[in-house]
Amino acid sequence: MKPTIRHIETELAIIGTGMAGIAASIFALNRGISCTLAGNTGALAYTTGYLDLLGFYDGRFLDDPWQGLKNLKESNEKHPFADLDPAQIRAAFAEFTSFISDIGIGYTNPEDTNLQAITPAGTIKPTLCVPRTMAKGVRALHEGASCTIFGFKGLKGFSARQIGANLKATWPDIQAKIIAFPGHESGELYAEVAARSLEVPGTRALLAELLLKEAGEAAYIGLPAILGMHNPDSVLKDLEKLTGLSIFEIPTMPPSVPGIRLREIVEQTLPKRGMNLVPQQKVKKIDFGKESIVLQLSDNFGPIEIKAKTALLATGRFLSGGLEAHFDHVAEPLVGLPVHQPPSRQEWYREQYLDGRGHEIHLAGIETDQYFRPLNKDGDVFDKRLFAAGIVLAHQDWIRQRCGAGVAIATAFEAVKEIRLLLKK
Amino acid sequence: MKKKEKPSISFKDKALELLPKNASYNACLTCGLCSSGCPASNLENMDPRKFIRMAMLGMDKELAETPWVWLCTQCRRCHHVCPMSIDIAQLVFFARGLWPDEKKPAGIVRSCQLTRATDSTSAMGLPPDDFVFVVEDVLAEVQETQPQFKNLKAPIDKQGAHFFVNQNSREPMSEPDEMVPLWKIFDYVGADWTYSSKAWAAENFCMFSGDEAAWYEVIKKRVDAVNNLGCKVWLNTECGHSYFTMWSAINRFEMDADFELQNLVSCYAQWIREGKLPVNSDWNTANITFTVQDPCQIVRKAYGESIAEDMRFVAKTLVGEENFIDMQPNRSANYCCGGGGGFLQAGMTEHRRAYGKRKYDQIAATQAKYVLTPCHNCHSQIEDLGHHYGGNYHVIHFWTLICLSLGILGENERTYLGDDLIALID
Repeated sequence: MKPTIRHIETELAIIGTGMAGIAASIFALNRGISCTLAGNTGALAYTTGYLDLLGFYDGRFLDDPWQGLKNLKESNEKHPFADLDPAQIRAAFAEFTSFISDIGIGYTNPEDTNLQAITPAGTIKPTLCVPRTMAKGVRALHEGASCTIFGFKGLKGFSARQIGANLKATWPDIQAKIIAFPGHESGELYAEVAARSLEVPGTRALLAELLLKEAGEAAYIGLPAILGMHNPDSVLKDLEKLTGLSIFEIPTMPPSVPGIRLREIVEQTLPKRGMNLVPQQKVKKIDFGKESIVLQLSDNFGPIEIKAKTALLATGRFLSGGLEAHFDHVAEPLVGLPVHQPPSRQEWYREQYLDGRGHEIHLAGIETDQYFRPLNKDGDVFDKRLFAAGIVLAHQDWIRQRCGAGVAIATAFEAVKEIRLLLKK
Repeated sequence: MKKKEKPSISFKDKALELLPKNASYNACLTCGLCSSGCPASNLENMDPRKFIRMAMLGMDKELAETPWVWLCTQCRRCHHVCPMSIDIAQLVFFARGLWPDEKKPAGIVRSCQLTRATDSTSAMGLPPDDFVFVVEDVLAEVQETQPQFKNLKAPIDKQGAHFFVNQNSREPMSEPDEMVPLWKIFDYVGADWTYSSKAWAAENFCMFSGDEAAWYEVIKKRVDAVNNLGCKVWLNTECGHSYFTMWSAINRFEMDADFELQNLVSCYAQWIREGKLPVNSDWNTANITFTVQDPCQIVRKAYGESIAEDMRFVAKTLVGEENFIDMQPNRSANYCCGGGGGFLQAGMTEHRRAYGKRKYDQIAATQAKYVLTPCHNCHSQIEDLGHHYGGNYHVIHFWTLICLSLGILGENERTYLGDDLIALID
């Protein structure tokens, strides 16, 4: 019995299933490009669900990310945002959020200013778009309305008391309560499990009873992000109907439900719209042939070969394996592209981890031309059919700048536009 | 007398051997996606994340003794969602193998012993002659009582047949009439098939007992039987783990198999696409709702999305697209029902039902009236969960619904139909 190689032919092979990979898939599908998405479980499951564009720059939090983009362009001409038209970035966000909303997870539209959103730690961060289940949290915080945050016994990574205590100074009318989740009296409660069980109408009814009993006079109720997995908006709506309360979600620590929601909805919906999905498998080898780019990988069943006209590298940084840290250098392991990095390991980090200026290593990544085509060691385009998007790109510190989703969505958008032009030729 | 040392292994070394190239346990963030998505988490104060961390800490004695390894069904969902592709299920397999037979769950050990006891390789110990007798007896009755099928065949040991069809022992042992719908389907599509008197059985609990040598021995008998009959295809019946034990063993032990492996679900899909099996949902005038359970052993652990897609295609064709509701999560991301891995045979009922609560919730959320599944363990477990948690659903084989749609489901073949379905066909 010989293993048979399965062949897939595609116009665009997207390598990586994180935010950049799924954004690229959506943009490609919307433009009629046949695409294949392959990649191991991305960091997508770790997201809060908030989509940041640019939240922090030049030592301060930004209310207006669009003005921030202009400032950034002037001071950091190598940042992936530097060559992009803000109107196009806005269009990219709008297309992404409306697509995700259409397939089942409602999102707010990109606006002129950042929203102030509550983090799992009870701090506040500026972000551009939030899931609709979290939108009332932004409003409640803004209004300073009376609010009760509920935590659940056994749910780690979400402390209602911590959130209440951290927000109390700016939001006096907030209080915290801990209750038992229906049917879960002891042991660890996983957010994923709670979310799925709230898709059962009976569980929702039991939770509604508990909330009604404990809510008191609060105008708003904040809950950890556990309101259903694949149709959170209807779960929230039903719970509000059952209780008559105004309810919102706050993200939990990873692995978080909003991330799993995104991953599952994308894995289920995109193949129905024509995308080839090779879930949870890493591309092992890539060859740039004259006729096509050939990618090799295998799943449980055996080897798969993808022949593509173009490819997009959306492999992330160290966690996802897009970059690899060796003893004395950083490498890009799949294509073998040169990596922009500090000249020596000594310069990777500053002495203090929390140094306000950040660390050089966090700017490491792939350098590209203005069309997001990776460059070879001579500074020329490596292959005109290869593109890169997302945080594998150099010269951005996405964690510090609160721009991870922004870099992913905006660069995927631009790269797919170029890919479309190339395929038309 | 010197006390006999328990066998032990270094789980850390084994784990490191299993790690894919370029991965590292240092890169494990202990993020908990594995545990969060594991229905066995919390049972016996263990979960996949704890298991792997204990392996890294060298806690081999504790891992060799934790009864949790019998509550993990080795469904590989943890591996599926792990960013580092850590194969905890394989470590659990090694851990099971360390248990002395007398301490392993008796039901699993006994099933393996029975499988090895006869040439049938039947976990219920049904010998070849008895199997042949049951098949011939049931066939004679169908030919006599259902005039439409007076020429129905159930060939045994037919040399050179295209399909070598295996059979879960539950049918010939406990519900022989359940074999008939499949024979009718083969008849309908004109398949060239045969049973074998030897190695006809599907199930294989030796793999679940962690006994690698016994697993090999059983599969060797089956491979030899197919080779000897010169069949082109070993066709796996509606039984999940039988496929995985065969497919995985042929690769693992590099066995000489002169045939292909196929799963019945994909054959159903192919026959429908080719027009050989003209099923439709016209019968479902009451819009009765259905969902499907993805058996881990053929979906996540083997074929992946392609068979999940085939299963949905068959289901939707049979019941009507509008009457089909997918459970969440589904396909490769679906949860194990808790009937696999020998759990149903292991006798740990309370744990098994606690494990199955997630499956019950998934089904309850769909509010479907029927669960279709091409796996006997899924079938039994999901039925039991329904009774235990008060579920208002039935569990049904694909072959039953196919024959129902074709209008050829006999009186004795309706065990799993609820009153709503009975009412539609009478």
